[in-house]
Formats: sequence, C-alpha cells, structure tokens
Amino acid sequence: MNKKSIILLKTLLLSTSQRNIYRYSKDRKKRRRVIGNAIGTVILYALLMAYCIAVCIGFGTMNLIHAAPVMCALVISAIAFVFTVLKTNGYLFHFKEYDMLMSLPFETRTVAGCKFLYMYCKSLPWYMSIAIAMMVGYGVYARPPVIVYPIWIILSVLLPVIPMLIAAFLGFLIARVSSGFRKTNLIQTVFTFAIVIFSFSLRFILEDLFRNNKVEATLQTTSQITGHAAVFYPPARWFADAVIRLDILSFLLLAGGSILLFTVVFLIVGKSYRNINSALKSHAAAKNYRMTRQKKKKVVWSIAYKEFKRLTGSTVYMVNGAVGMILAPLLGIVTLVVGFDRILTLVVHDAPLNAYMMQPAIPFIIYFFIGMMATTVCSPSLEGKNYWILQSLPIEKKTIYQGKMLFNMLLAVPSMAFSTLCLCISARVSVPETILFLLLGLALCSFSTAWGCVCGVRHMRLDWENEVEVIKQGSAVLIYMLPNMFVVMGLVVLVVFLGTRMSHVLLTVILTLIASLLAFLCYLRVMALAKK
Amino acid sequence: MNEKIMLDIRHYSKTYGGGKKAADDVSLSVMSGDICGFIGHNGAGKSTTIRAVVGVLDFTEGEILIDGHSVKSEPMECKKVTAYIPDNPDLYENLTGIQYLNFVADVFDLGSAEREERIRKYADLFEITNALGDMISSYSHGMKQKVAIISALIHRPKLLVLDEPFVGLDPKASFTLKEIMHEMCQEGTAIFFSTHVLEVAEKLCNKVAIIKQGRIIASGTMEELTKGHSLEETFLQQELG
Repeated sequence: MNKKSIILLKTLLLSTSQRNIYRYSKDRKKRRRVIGNAIGTVILYALLMAYCIAVCIGFGTMNLIHAAPVMCALVISAIAFVFTVLKTNGYLFHFKEYDMLMSLPFETRTVAGCKFLYMYCKSLPWYMSIAIAMMVGYGVYARPPVIVYPIWIILSVLLPVIPMLIAAFLGFLIARVSSGFRKTNLIQTVFTFAIVIFSFSLRFILEDLFRNNKVEATLQTTSQITGHAAVFYPPARWFADAVIRLDILSFLLLAGGSILLFTVVFLIVGKSYRNINSALKSHAAAKNYRMTRQKKKKVVWSIAYKEFKRLTGSTVYMVNGAVGMILAPLLGIVTLVVGFDRILTLVVHDAPLNAYMMQPAIPFIIYFFIGMMATTVCSPSLEGKNYWILQSLPIEKKTIYQGKMLFNMLLAVPSMAFSTLCLCISARVSVPETILFLLLGLALCSFSTAWGCVCGVRHMRLDWENEVEVIKQGSAVLIYMLPNMFVVMGLVVLVVFLGTRMSHVLLTVILTLIASLLAFLCYLRVMALAKK
Repeated sequence: MNEKIMLDIRHYSKTYGGGKKAADDVSLSVMSGDICGFIGHNGAGKSTTIRAVVGVLDFTEGEILIDGHSVKSEPMECKKVTAYIPDNPDLYENLTGIQYLNFVADVFDLGSAEREERIRKYADLFEITNALGDMISSYSHGMKQKVAIISALIHRPKLLVLDEPFVGLDPKASFTLKEIMHEMCQEGTAIFFSTHVLEVAEKLCNKVAIIKQGRIIASGTMEELTKGHSLEETFLQQELG
C-alpha cells in the first residue's frame, strides 16, 4: 500500500466513523444515536459470539471439536462472499463522491482498492467476532498450544479477503457486462440476483454432496473433514492446517494468496474502473417525450409509485430489498416441481417430520423470505437529501408512511400469495386451510410492513454517504431483521409442535389473530410517530 | 508571462450507450492566464465535457491535453496540476471542514506550514474559518461550496475547472471568488468554467466557448465573439441561428 492509499483509506474510514460524529457533531440527537448504535452493535456482537460458542460447545460435547477450524473458515468465507455480493455494487461503483475522488491525483486502482479495503474494514469486526468466539470454544475443548491463538487471529483477519475478492470481482464483471447495455441497472440487478440465488442453492448442493458421501460417519477425523472442505475451498484447508498442524506452508499460502489475489484483482479492476463508472453514471437523455394524457392518482398511490421507482432505480436496494420477494416464489415453483416431501427430506433430513406436520408452518416458511426485509425499513432513510421534497409538500407524515407501507404490501402480498399457493398445492393442503394460510400470510405481511416502518421511522438516518450504509448496515435494518429472522425460525418449530397437539385450522386462526393484532399495534405506533 | 496551452481539447466526442452523442467533435484551447467561460443550454454538453477534462468521465474519441499531458494516458500528471469544483460538491459529510481540507492537502502532499497558510488565507476570505471545526453535514450548500473551492485552491493548480461555481454562493463570496480568479489568472493559472450567468461571463472572461447539442458553435476571445454586442445577445443569436 502506498502513501496515497493510506490517506484515502483513513479518510474513508474517518468519514463514516461514529466516533468522529460523536466528537464533532453539535446535534445532541445525533450524539445520542451514536451511543445507541454502539450499544446495539455490542449486543449484536455478543449474540453472534454466544451463538458461535454454543456451536463449539456442540462440537466439543460430540468430540468433534477438530472440525471447528474448518467450520470457522467456511462460515466466515460464506458470509463474506454473500454479503460482499450484496454490497459490492454500492461500495465500488455507486458512491456519491466519485467525481471528487476521481478528479484528485489518485490512480483508478487506488480508488477501487481503497473502496474494497474500506468495505473489508467495515465488515471485519463481524468476522472477527465469529473467529474469536470459535477460537475460544476450540481452545477450551482442544487445548491447543499457545501459538495457535495468534495464528488463528492473524489468519482470521485474512480469511474474508479471498471470498470478498471473488465476490467483488464478480460484482466488477457484472458491472462491466451491464455497462455495455442501455438498461445497466436492470442487467446488474438480474445478474446479482442470479449470484445470490446461486449462493443460497449452493448451500443445499454442498450439503447434499456431503451427505451423499456420508460425511457424518467420517466427521470423526479432522483430516477427512479438511479434505472434503478443500475440494470446494482450499483457503479453508490452509486455515485448518495452519491452526491444527501448525503448517507454515498453509499459513503462507493463505497470507500470500490473499495479497496476491488482491493485487491481481485490482490491477484488472483499475483498468476499466473509470470506463465502467462512466457508463454507470452517465446516461443520454432520450429527449423524445410527447405529452400524453396524465392520470390523477391518490397521494398514497403516488408515494407508493415513487417508492417503486426508488427501488428499481438502485441495484443495491433492489437486491437487498426484494430478495425475499423473489426467493419465495422461486421456492414455491421448486416445491411444485420437486415436491414438498423431497424438499422436506433435503432440509430436515432424518428428523421425524412429515408433510402433514409441516403444513401449519407453511405461512411462516414463506414469511421467512418475504419478511427477510421490508422496504419500509430503509425507505424513510433512503429519502436522504431528497427528504425536503416530501417535507415541503402539503402532505401529512402519516400519508407518507401509508404510501411507503402500501408499496411494501403491493410487493409482498402477491409474492406471498403465489408462494403460499404453490406450497399448499404441493403439500396437498385442503382448500379451507389454504385460504386460512393466505389470511395468515396477509397478516404477517402487514406485520412486517408496519414493524419495518416503525424501525425505519424510529431509526431514520438521512445523512448517509452511501446507500449501502442504510440498506445493509443501518440500525433500523439490524433491529428489524435479526430478531425477526430468529423469531420466525423459532415460530416454525413451535407451530410444527403445536400442530401435533391441536387442529391446524384452530392454530392458524389463533396465529392469524395474533399476527393481525401485532400488525395493528405496529400500525398505530407508526401513526403515533407520524404525529411527532 | 509565458503563454502556454494549459488545456487543449482536440476533437473530443462522447457517445452514450444508445449511440447518442453528448459531445461531438469539441475542440478548444485555454492558455495559461486565460479565463474561459463555457456556456450553453441545460443539457448542451457542458458538464459532460468538463467531467471528461478532469478525468472523471471516459470518452470515446479525440484527445484532451492538460499542460501537454494526455488525460487518457497520463491521468496522474494531469490531475496533479488541475483542480475541479463540481456544480454540486459531494463532500464527506461526516468529516469536519478542516478534516476534509487536510485530506486534500495530504493528497497533494502539502507541507504543514503552506497548508496552514493557504487554508487560513482562503477560509478568512470566504469567512468560514470559525466553521471549519464543524461537521460538513451541518453546513449550508453555500458553505459546502466554499469548502470545495478552498480545497481546489490550496494546492495552487495550473488549471482550475469549475462547473457553475457561483450557484449557491452569497454575493460577498461570489465577489471574493471572482477576485481570486482574477488573481490566479494574473499568476498564470488557466481557468475554465461553465456558467449560465452571462453577465458574469462577460465581465470575467477573456475567452468564451458556446456549446449547443454537444457541438461548439462559437468560440474565441470575448471581443471576437461579441463584436460590440452584449454576450447575451450574441449567445441568443448563436442559439437561434
């Protein structure tokens, strides 16, 4: 890294540092929010670490603790890859200060490289919390020599680099290809979706391969696990070999490989960086509009339409905000084609579950995807500097929020209805129950929309530098998403259990009433926030 | 003072994906000590040309030379002597004004004494010294514009490129900027700026280029172009003609 890279990276980090905001902001509300965010983040780190330690305890009690290093390497790599695919477009290409940076004497590869390193530095604490927690678990059960700990930490710092570089390079290729088309955003979104969906399905493909090879039986020996992991991902083997066998060559391969790959990737990226950004940032105006009859719309519908244009205008927003709405119908189609029973076997393996028992969980399975992200979570913050437009118009805040909620419902409900119908047909659910599941789905969509809006409005942040900060890292998103996903996973188990004890119809009616009540309470909260 | 071509745009064209030309065979030159106004309708191609000059935008045909260096093949050499102020500067909102200025000074490798002296000088001139310790996010548009201007001036560029620099500035700051532009041009800096305010261009510039639908339709010294008429009359004549 040269001097200019260090200056730029330092400035990029400083420009989004919460400490800097706390130190120099005169706005008390802003300072309080910084403290709130810090506390929230610490809690989330603690939860993540507790979860990782619990996994290690599981490994330890089953005498499989030697699998922990590979597990650690694979988990960090997978998360780093998927999250970078989702973020790379926003970090590398769609940043506001592009003109300012490119007009300064920086090499293009310096700008691109520093943007990548910035993304890496921002995500590193998450990966390190996983690595340190698993190191502690491994240390307790495996009692390795002391030298393992510094090796583990050093290599954990490097572990996310290769998957992040691969993901960033894929993002670069997508941008490169789509920059040749007129509808660059659309092409970028489609390609990115394809990678995200492929990454999700890869989990099942790998799992299936492992199972077909009866890895459970061979999990007892570390070398075999490492061998299997290495088939797919050599850096995981290097990490495990360096940590378990203190293999210097593996250490050097991981360290050297990361640095070499970084250099190569950014030499290539640097060459077409300006070209891609030029294509992404400049569009010719068609200038061929002919005035036609204009339709009058209600204000809430106008706001909902504005939200639609905002979503489709940004690849990062589209990929993150609509991923669940796309995955749910895909799951529905796959289930129709493959069959509910086969999917169930693939997911729950040898657990004593059948299609009938899983039926009451269908709305929650769909909600796991649909409720993954509600556009209402980030749309208030995404107004950013344009918020003045809505503020200065004679519209009440409640109408603004209603418009935002309407848009999320318009996005979520058709997707939910289609996927629920597919799953119900495939699982041979009776017609009355299907209708009840659709009603429960509707109540859950309303809940996610309104709860998302509560989080989005309560934690509205308009002064972002890059929309990724709102869409992927905003406190509203974290507060909405993490508990929501954990609760849904718990609910699936609970509902399946309750379904064996009581009638599915009664259970669904009760759950619909609860979900509707929660949605209504959240809606009331949004309306109360609108009055403030 | 030695006159030297600081900005030389030769047959520059920019074509968008759909084959539409945003700039078509644009050629013009700005000498050291020149203040060249670049005028045209909204969407005529001013900003596209300016962004290509400062190395932000890629272009398809032609060549742009700054101080004899090609923007395409020697971008670093060009950027070292150029300063650019965009029409709506996107600065790092969560840095303080002084942190941002120090960042730019670091990039241009300015020593402590000279950066301090220049920041002090320009910040005093623009009456923003007291606000330099505040976050940029708390600044008004005009204050951000002032910080962007100071950041462009502190490394003493040989070519100053400005896109609508007077938008958002208060009358005092506009006056100060004009004074600074005069002072810089006397020291040999070439200034190339776009504006819609024809009165300002008329008073400030010794050269003017008019762009329409991506093509330069008139360029030269103010006297050559206006021939005794006002710049507004000349511009409207060219536009209609």
